[in-house]
Amino acid sequence: MRHVVQVGDMKAGKDGDVVVTHALGSCLGLMVHDPVARIGGLLHAMLPLSKINPQKAQANPYMFVDTGVVMLFKEIYNLGGKKSRLVVKAAGCGSPMGNNEMFKIGERNYTVLKKLLWKNNILLDAEDVGGTVSRTVHFYMSTGKTVIKSGQQEFEL
Amino acid sequence: MKKGRMNEIISDVRSFPSMSGTAVKVLKLVDDPESTASKIEELLRYDPAITANILKLTNSAYFGLPARIGSVRQAIVLLGWKRLGKLVMTSCVNAILDKPVPGYDLPSGELWRHSIAVSVAAELLAKELDIAADDEVYTAALLHDLGKLVLGNYVKEDLQAIEKAAGEGIPFQVAEREVLGTDHAEIGGRLLKSWSFPESLVKSVRWHHEPDGAKEPSVIIDLVHVANVLCLMIGIGVGREGLRYEPSPAATKRLGIKTRQLELVASQTLQWANELSDLFGAG
Repeated sequence: MRHVVQVGDMKAGKDGDVVVTHALGSCLGLMVHDPVARIGGLLHAMLPLSKINPQKAQANPYMFVDTGVVMLFKEIYNLGGKKSRLVVKAAGCGSPMGNNEMFKIGERNYTVLKKLLWKNNILLDAEDVGGTVSRTVHFYMSTGKTVIKSGQQEFEL
Repeated sequence: MKKGRMNEIISDVRSFPSMSGTAVKVLKLVDDPESTASKIEELLRYDPAITANILKLTNSAYFGLPARIGSVRQAIVLLGWKRLGKLVMTSCVNAILDKPVPGYDLPSGELWRHSIAVSVAAELLAKELDIAADDEVYTAALLHDLGKLVLGNYVKEDLQAIEKAAGEGIPFQVAEREVLGTDHAEIGGRLLKSWSFPESLVKSVRWHHEPDGAKEPSVIIDLVHVANVLCLMIGIGVGREGLRYEPSPAATKRLGIKTRQLELVASQTLQWANELSDLFGAG
């Protein structure tokens, strides 16, 4: 089955599924996979911290990195994923051109992710983050294969 | 720049389909202090598609009326002239902006969703900043990328050269100018001028990527500028050129916007944009 993850959402899949997300600009795409259980999930989070809009965060925790990442891992564990086996990859977190700090939402998304992972003793296995490109991710549940497409480029992460 | 290219583009601007006759007439009536609700109702009676769209929009949560509206007359009474004009504009540009855009690689419906999102974000920004922006902000935002519909075919043709130029660290619209002699913002401005739109709207579209290029700074240009970059960042209508645009530090300073406010508006924009753009898709 093919699942498409919209901005501010998360989808999990099982063996044989592919989880897709489009148009990762400054948003974070986080892919978590368990190669033994052959399950995984993809989060497409828009903003770093839920405190900016607690009401929204309650209605939709996947909009924010701090609440979304926690929920994604919970879902993975619910589906039978084991922390020791998880492969974690990140994509997105881009920024527009120039040095206007206010618009570095992508960098802030990435910083919050790294802090969260560090606190929980989880390392990123691969990442394709930053820059000015918009990315599409295809994430295959059988193998954990993660394919990133941006502009004309397509490669496996 | 290829010779004669500019003439070709200008001729495409001239032959670009105009706004629907109903839209232009209604907008004139809305501006006319002598007009009455029944005149507008009469005009819309012959355009069931626009009428249906107006009622859908009026009843959407974004325009938030307490009771369900079943007729154009009720809509006019409850919304007032100016907001009605906004709804008519939205209904009329749907058909134009709904198309796929070559060059920028936007699939069908994506430019429409982007245009709606920028309108919503610009209004939310104005509200958050306590700026008394009138309905012009909404319309300017809605039409800001109109030029992409003309320039898209040319961008597609010369994509390699444009991407090469942009790859050297200049914003995408500057790369368009280097290769094509014009950019989508300028073409959008020309289109609106040819439709006899007010000069302030023409300027807002013309300078939406380079707000500091306008002779006089304008709060509407600044709002559209910031809202546009923000919507691209959150992936609404982001095309092949990605985030290769540069937000102006002067514009954010003029608006007095804080990081917290920008992020808050981002968190609010998505839902409204999806809701409003889906109204039209739902048929």
